[in-house]
Amino acid sequence: MHESSSLLHTAEVVHWAALIIMAVVYSLRLRWLFKFKPGADKSAPGAPDRTDKERGAFYSLFNVAMPWSMESTRKGFAFYLTFVIFHLGVVAGISLAFLSTITPNLVANPVFAWICGSTLFLAFLVALYRVFRRLFTPVMKLISTPDDYFSLFMLTAWFGLGAVTQAHLAGVQGFESVNILVAYLFLTSFFLIYVPFSKISHYLYYPFTRIWIGRALGHRGSYPIVRG
Amino acid sequence: MKKPAKTHKIKMMEAQLATKLNRQVVGSLVGCVHCGMCNDCCHYVLSHPDDPKMTPSYKADQVRKLFKANHDWTGSVFPWWVGADKAALTDDDLEELKDIAFGTCTNCRRCTINCPMGVDTATLNRLMRGLLTNVGVMPEGVRVVSKDQWELGNQMGVLKEDYIDTLEWMSEELEEDLGHGEAEIPIDKAGAKIMYAINPREVKYDPRTIKEAALIFWAAGEDWTMPTEGWDNTNFGLFSGDDGLGGASAKREYDKARELGVDKIVISECGHGYRSTRHEGVNWSGDAEPFPMESSVMTMLRYIKEGKIVVDPSKNSQRVTFHDSCNNARSCGFYEEPRELLRLVTTDFQEMYPNRAEGFCCTGGGGAMSMSEYTPRRLKSGEIKANQIRATGAEVVVTSCHNCVDGLGDVIKHYELGCEVKQLVDLVANALVLEECAVMKGRPATAAAPEAPAPTAEVEEAAAPVVAVEAPLAGRKILVVDDEEDIRTFLVTVFEDAGAEVMEASDGDECIEKAKTYKPDIISLDLSMPGKSGVDAFVELRKTAETESIPVCVVTGHPEFRQVIYDRPVPPPEGYLNKPVDEDKLVAYVAHIVETKEEKAN
Repeated sequence: MHESSSLLHTAEVVHWAALIIMAVVYSLRLRWLFKFKPGADKSAPGAPDRTDKERGAFYSLFNVAMPWSMESTRKGFAFYLTFVIFHLGVVAGISLAFLSTITPNLVANPVFAWICGSTLFLAFLVALYRVFRRLFTPVMKLISTPDDYFSLFMLTAWFGLGAVTQAHLAGVQGFESVNILVAYLFLTSFFLIYVPFSKISHYLYYPFTRIWIGRALGHRGSYPIVRG
Repeated sequence: MKKPAKTHKIKMMEAQLATKLNRQVVGSLVGCVHCGMCNDCCHYVLSHPDDPKMTPSYKADQVRKLFKANHDWTGSVFPWWVGADKAALTDDDLEELKDIAFGTCTNCRRCTINCPMGVDTATLNRLMRGLLTNVGVMPEGVRVVSKDQWELGNQMGVLKEDYIDTLEWMSEELEEDLGHGEAEIPIDKAGAKIMYAINPREVKYDPRTIKEAALIFWAAGEDWTMPTEGWDNTNFGLFSGDDGLGGASAKREYDKARELGVDKIVISECGHGYRSTRHEGVNWSGDAEPFPMESSVMTMLRYIKEGKIVVDPSKNSQRVTFHDSCNNARSCGFYEEPRELLRLVTTDFQEMYPNRAEGFCCTGGGGAMSMSEYTPRRLKSGEIKANQIRATGAEVVVTSCHNCVDGLGDVIKHYELGCEVKQLVDLVANALVLEECAVMKGRPATAAAPEAPAPTAEVEEAAAPVVAVEAPLAGRKILVVDDEEDIRTFLVTVFEDAGAEVMEASDGDECIEKAKTYKPDIISLDLSMPGKSGVDAFVELRKTAETESIPVCVVTGHPEFRQVIYDRPVPPPEGYLNKPVDEDKLVAYVAHIVETKEEKAN
């Protein structure tokens, strides 16, 4: 028991340290990105009555929450749903890791446990589907790199372990071993350190890429998209 | 296996890439998560479902690998981990990249607006094209067109005298139509309000649109001019990725407009021309202040709204649909004005779905019309557009882009859709009620509309005196070459009715033999024929001393062969018409070619 507590303490320290490392690397990443000169469109606004850079940027940034805004999400709504579940799983997994060390009582709360646990479990199922899709769809195989595969395998394992960890924290019978939490925190630590160097760091760039394309197309009058 | 060393060209590309990176481009390079959501948005993917290499992210990955190998942290240390180890290294790799960047993407940007990450894949493909162009790796058509635009100021190699000659020809045609010379096209008129910039395709293949625009400007009482320099609104820099060419071409227009002291540049209906002149050219050229510019669609719409021209939509009663040029709709937000104008000049407009910024490419974008080696793939990708058009039941597909006219023409022909392509200028000109237009205010209505209803027999009888009109091809010898007998008969009849002496040939060998024997004033040449094809016959005619100077007007049912013939290392044909061909247009075109040839000889 003493050994497990010590390991848990180490895991907690390591995963906070990993968070700091991630923050530092992300800062450097952003510094690197902003060292490139900004592209500027000096042309006059495209359609004066429709042109609005800020509106275009706003529309672009939040189109993730508007599945009707893009044909790819409108027509592939089932895929969009898996995308939502997958990313909610990431939020749940990160929350679980940090809240388990800050407020252990909250993560043991049955409501929290049900929401977080089922989100992680659903995300695990979605991740399995994504593994299958990436491994067996010709297009996905063609465009996938080792980083793509590894990131997905790691997240799949992380979601699965997260769901088990939530069961442990909620006191579910059969999941009593504290090593589950230790393993989860160590995996989260690795995840946090690996992410800034991998494709998973896309969420760091997301606001910028979306705002930039939104401003560009908003200036021209193409965003928000009009259908008729 | 040991990897080959980087070639000089690769090193050049890497160096060039470093100069092209800005935040937006880097964002697109690092932002892709390979989710595959762009896949089903691409017309190449949808029409080639068994070829995963058509997916937009794969195309963009080609330049992404180069970037990751040289600029990305992980890619620099562990290139294999992020696929950077597969970046191009040899000149053979560059040939493959050329095929991907130029032959599997029209830079239509449909993937861009469907990417959840906001990755501008089309811009990355253009970036790759630019890197390749910079080291001389590009399709032959792109090379030829770019060279023409650099050297002659227009992408179709139109000589200044031919351009001016065409404007004068159109002025004469207008004079004939109207019965007076007031609608003459003003050339280099200093202080005019509008400078009208066109697509060289209008000079080379379809001067009728220049005449129609001139008629509309005249009817609106506009103070306008066409320049002798900087008249080409198109810009191959957009397609080749060469920002230098893009800037130089746009600057020619801006400089000429400033020299003439006009208030505004009006850009004729051309999608990439509009985008290049109105937007990208400003950025490429480093122009200090954007010059006021608008599309001729906006100009025509304004004329109607301001009452400067009056139109009768019942003159265009066929069912029409509208195809959005990708450059106009997706990259310039220019999609409502053409619809507004279309509703004013037609009576039966049927929307095509999807449309506006979500519309599919006509297959002719990104310079695809000048890359004949990719024509079969391009036509296959047109299946999506063909289905869109078919669903509308339209007899006429209207578009505001010359590339789209050609691209759609090929699709309509290939998929046997049985409709025709028109531009808004055609429909507006046709719908004009000249008697009520601004230019006629306060005048007696003496001028007749150019397309007045055909006179009845009684009126014809009553019309006196009868003026004998000289046959436009009187005394000319024409060799008609076509393997299809009914088409040959049609062409022979048209030319004979116009006063010409006509000989016939049904294949390439017979064409050459008769050209040598009869020395015709012009040859009307089909391209697709059994035995020696029209293309081979054309090349042989040009390479044979006895026939090299005989003008050739290609009359073909395969417009997609256009570039095949222009790519040959011989002087291009004097004319090029697509079947089915309008009789009047054919006669006028052929007569003009022969007259021009004679004038030059004299």
